[in-house]
Amino acid sequence: MKKKGLSMKQKQSTAGWMFLVPAIILICCFSLYPALSAFITSLKTGTGTNLTFTGLTNYIRAFQDDVFVQSLKNCFFYLIIQVPVMLVMALILATLLNNPKLKFRGFFRTAIFLPCATSLVAYAIIFRSLFATDGFINSVLLKMGILSEAYNFLGNPLSAKIVIIIALVWRWTGYNMVFYLAGLQNIDYSVYEAAKIDGASPIQTFFRITVPLLKPTILMTAIMSTNGTLQLFDESMNLTNGGPGNASITMSHYIYNMAFKGVPNFGYTSAMSFIILILVAILAFVQKKVGEDNDQ
Amino acid sequence: MTSKPKLVFMYLFLSIVSLISIFPLAWMVIAATNKSIDVIAGKLTFGTNLVENYKNLIGQQPLWGNFWNSCKYTILVTVFALIISSLAGYGFEIYRGKAKERLYSVVLMSMMIPFVALMVPLFRMYSKLGLLNTVLGFMLPSLATPLLIMMFRTNAKAFPVDIIEAARIDGTTEFGIFFKIYIPSMKAIFAAAGVITFMNAWNNYLWAKVIMSDNTTQTMPMLISNLTSGYKTDYGMLMLAVFITTIPTAVVFFALQKYFVEGITGSVK
Amino acid sequence: MMKKKMISLVLAGVMATVLLSGCGGASGTSSKGNDDTAAGGSNTLTVWAWDSQFNLYAMEEAAKIYQKDHPDFQLNAIEITWDDLQTKIGTIVGSGDYSQLPDICLMQDYAYQKYVTIYSDLFQDITDSGIDFSQFPEGKLAASVVDGKNYGVPFDNGTDVAIYRTDILEEAGYTLDDLTDIDWNRFIEIGEDVYAKTGYSLLSVQTGSSDMIYQMMQSAGKSTWNEDGSPNIAGNEYLKQCLEIYKQMADKRILEVVNSWDEYVATFTSGKTAGVLNGCWIMVQLESAEELSGKWGITNVPSLPGVDGATNYTNQGGSTWAITTNCSNVELAADFLGSTFAGSTELYDTILPGAGAIATWLPAKNSDVYNQPVEYYGGQAVYSMIADYASKVPSVDLGIFYTEANAALATVVGNILGGADIASELETAQSTVEFNMR
Repeated sequence: MKKKGLSMKQKQSTAGWMFLVPAIILICCFSLYPALSAFITSLKTGTGTNLTFTGLTNYIRAFQDDVFVQSLKNCFFYLIIQVPVMLVMALILATLLNNPKLKFRGFFRTAIFLPCATSLVAYAIIFRSLFATDGFINSVLLKMGILSEAYNFLGNPLSAKIVIIIALVWRWTGYNMVFYLAGLQNIDYSVYEAAKIDGASPIQTFFRITVPLLKPTILMTAIMSTNGTLQLFDESMNLTNGGPGNASITMSHYIYNMAFKGVPNFGYTSAMSFIILILVAILAFVQKKVGEDNDQ
Repeated sequence: MTSKPKLVFMYLFLSIVSLISIFPLAWMVIAATNKSIDVIAGKLTFGTNLVENYKNLIGQQPLWGNFWNSCKYTILVTVFALIISSLAGYGFEIYRGKAKERLYSVVLMSMMIPFVALMVPLFRMYSKLGLLNTVLGFMLPSLATPLLIMMFRTNAKAFPVDIIEAARIDGTTEFGIFFKIYIPSMKAIFAAAGVITFMNAWNNYLWAKVIMSDNTTQTMPMLISNLTSGYKTDYGMLMLAVFITTIPTAVVFFALQKYFVEGITGSVK
Repeated sequence: MMKKKMISLVLAGVMATVLLSGCGGASGTSSKGNDDTAAGGSNTLTVWAWDSQFNLYAMEEAAKIYQKDHPDFQLNAIEITWDDLQTKIGTIVGSGDYSQLPDICLMQDYAYQKYVTIYSDLFQDITDSGIDFSQFPEGKLAASVVDGKNYGVPFDNGTDVAIYRTDILEEAGYTLDDLTDIDWNRFIEIGEDVYAKTGYSLLSVQTGSSDMIYQMMQSAGKSTWNEDGSPNIAGNEYLKQCLEIYKQMADKRILEVVNSWDEYVATFTSGKTAGVLNGCWIMVQLESAEELSGKWGITNVPSLPGVDGATNYTNQGGSTWAITTNCSNVELAADFLGSTFAGSTELYDTILPGAGAIATWLPAKNSDVYNQPVEYYGGQAVYSMIADYASKVPSVDLGIFYTEANAALATVVGNILGGADIASELETAQSTVEFNMR
């Protein structure tokens, strides 16, 4: 019996590896190998194809580069404000839309998901016109007497960043809601029914049942959003074009500009990319530790 | 759920959020019926230029051919990405082990590096492998995504071990368990992952544009960017194209969201 | 056993289907791609360009003309946005596999110096190809000439025009003549008066862009670079002067500053400003406002006051056709470009009414098409006027690091609008550019 059990275990272990094979091969070929190659490039400097090995010069250079440092600060500003707001919103919406007795559920879910499916081109035009000096937001604020004269939201450093945050929350809340909705299906609805019979308020249920049971999913979305925000490109490129004067530019946007718009310096752009990797990896590690500690 | 005022408040809240979410789409529909100069002047009422915009659009760009390309590639990518990533996610969670955990960390790390940095090395590799200018070439990097693997792994945590053990005793193979028991009971996750993958694949653009040099393989996102790159942008026509591009993801989501109801336990029982 | 079978079945299935589906879709295209670019002696030229209604249209018309004498000639025109074209070229040169380049590609003039200098093996030297380059204005040619060698056939015209609403000017008591051959000081006087009397700004501009500053600089032939290629930004009195004019105009509401390109276009198409000052290609977009037809008039741009070599002519944008080193039949490509874009009045007579594409090839302006009055601009013969302006634009060195300097100056423009000091902003810009060049 014992022997047979061991071979079962072995069989299972090999089977376990087989499950991973297709994905691992693909990731090795199309992510890890080029990443390794990019890392080697990041240790070289020069313009165009004339690259010479210079060690960590590019990494040091990045922190002497005012624009890169600015873009780093911008990304963290977005991260700290936008990610919590968005995830909490998404969690609340998912909880509400998980109620099987809710009418028009399909409509609400689809409507709230739609922003992330909306083409960037369209939504950038809409947001810019909404926040334009003679746009909708200004005219409403003027009418309500909150502003005495029109404010150029995209033309001022702080408000430009806030517009980007609003746009991000608008665009990605429904996306994260999908993960929560899917995760909520792992929780038997009868648990909620039981809690209700026990007299728990919806808010108590939310914190005592929903949040703890969804913790793995919350952790996952937190890591994903951190990654997404530190690699943010679209909004910076299309909404504000990094402006005014680099006040809203993101790291990825700056890297793209350096790699393909100006005189290319692939060593430097690779190094900046690896700085992003390191930052995201550290934050993901911290989030994972915090998430697991609470488990005990 | 509970008392009436609370219920009214909930519907009101959801309606407002939906309205804000859907506003740009409504704006797009309206814009698609207007002339270019009215669109950028901020006109918010329906116009009469829809047919004209449509004629201009199909006159300038191979709209339906590109639409078909997008559908084809997106469906292929979605199907294979779901299979490959769900296998991996399941494998990482059900057959845990130290080595696998390390590998999992490496998999996660691979999504943390901006794609811009990978383009040149990847292009060099494609050139050696003869993958340039092939549809296969632009699909391959999207088939195993850390995002999906992470999603499947996270949700596999909730899959009861008892069921697996029971199936093993019945003599079901490991892959048999996956295909016959796990997949049917995880409809909600597959639906959600399907929507997310469909959307990402549908909007995938940069890499396809870099390795493809042919008009016949153009997809909808490329068509849209072509419409905005000229000296003269016809905003009415552009909004029509953007609207047409948005429809498939919306339809797919609406069709799949109804699977966000069945809990695992419910379906396994 | 079962397990292994399962595994191999799944894997084989996945791989086979991926491969089949992929190759099935691709086989046709990949083999075709090879024929077009690699096969020697082919009669097909592959061309990359953006804007199907303008550049690609012009290219297709050129092919039609060339096919009359060369019936075997085939054109494979591929639409790629300028952003994507740069990304593609960047990736291709970075990877070293030039075989993916087209035979001919369109280049923004400002990017020429960069590509030719950094990647000396990217574009063909066509100095001795038999094309008569003397038939292009010097200001235009300067972009595609490096070290006295020609690397391209000029095409799209970027000569600046100042276009004003004559009805609004009249309301304020001015005519087009009052704005012709003037300097910026006079322009500001008129602009203030027009704004006071009618409430209209004379011009608009997109924020986060230094293009306006570059246009002012070029009108006097001034560059942001020293002879030796080092940046001349900090303490550059001409730059300072341009920025002061810019700031003054914005403060006095003569210049309406908007946040994006679509808002910029809206300012003149929906009649919010009384004028436009930009490369003549802006006319294509301007004319989409059909109901404003006849209310516009064109003249030259204001000059920099008190500056040596100041003119009323300048340039913004424009593009040139380049033949890449991947071209297997350079003779054909050069002959094709030489006998169309650098040799066919018929071509320019077709694409002007067809797309509003104005020639930089000087002989084109003598044709009847160029001398016809244009209703939209109150009956002015605008095209021959522009062709004439083009010949007077001072040439200027945009430099290899144009994009970097442009971005640094755009930051300056943004900051001075917020009240920053011009001189110290220019110093910051100088060090930013120097940092980028390191």
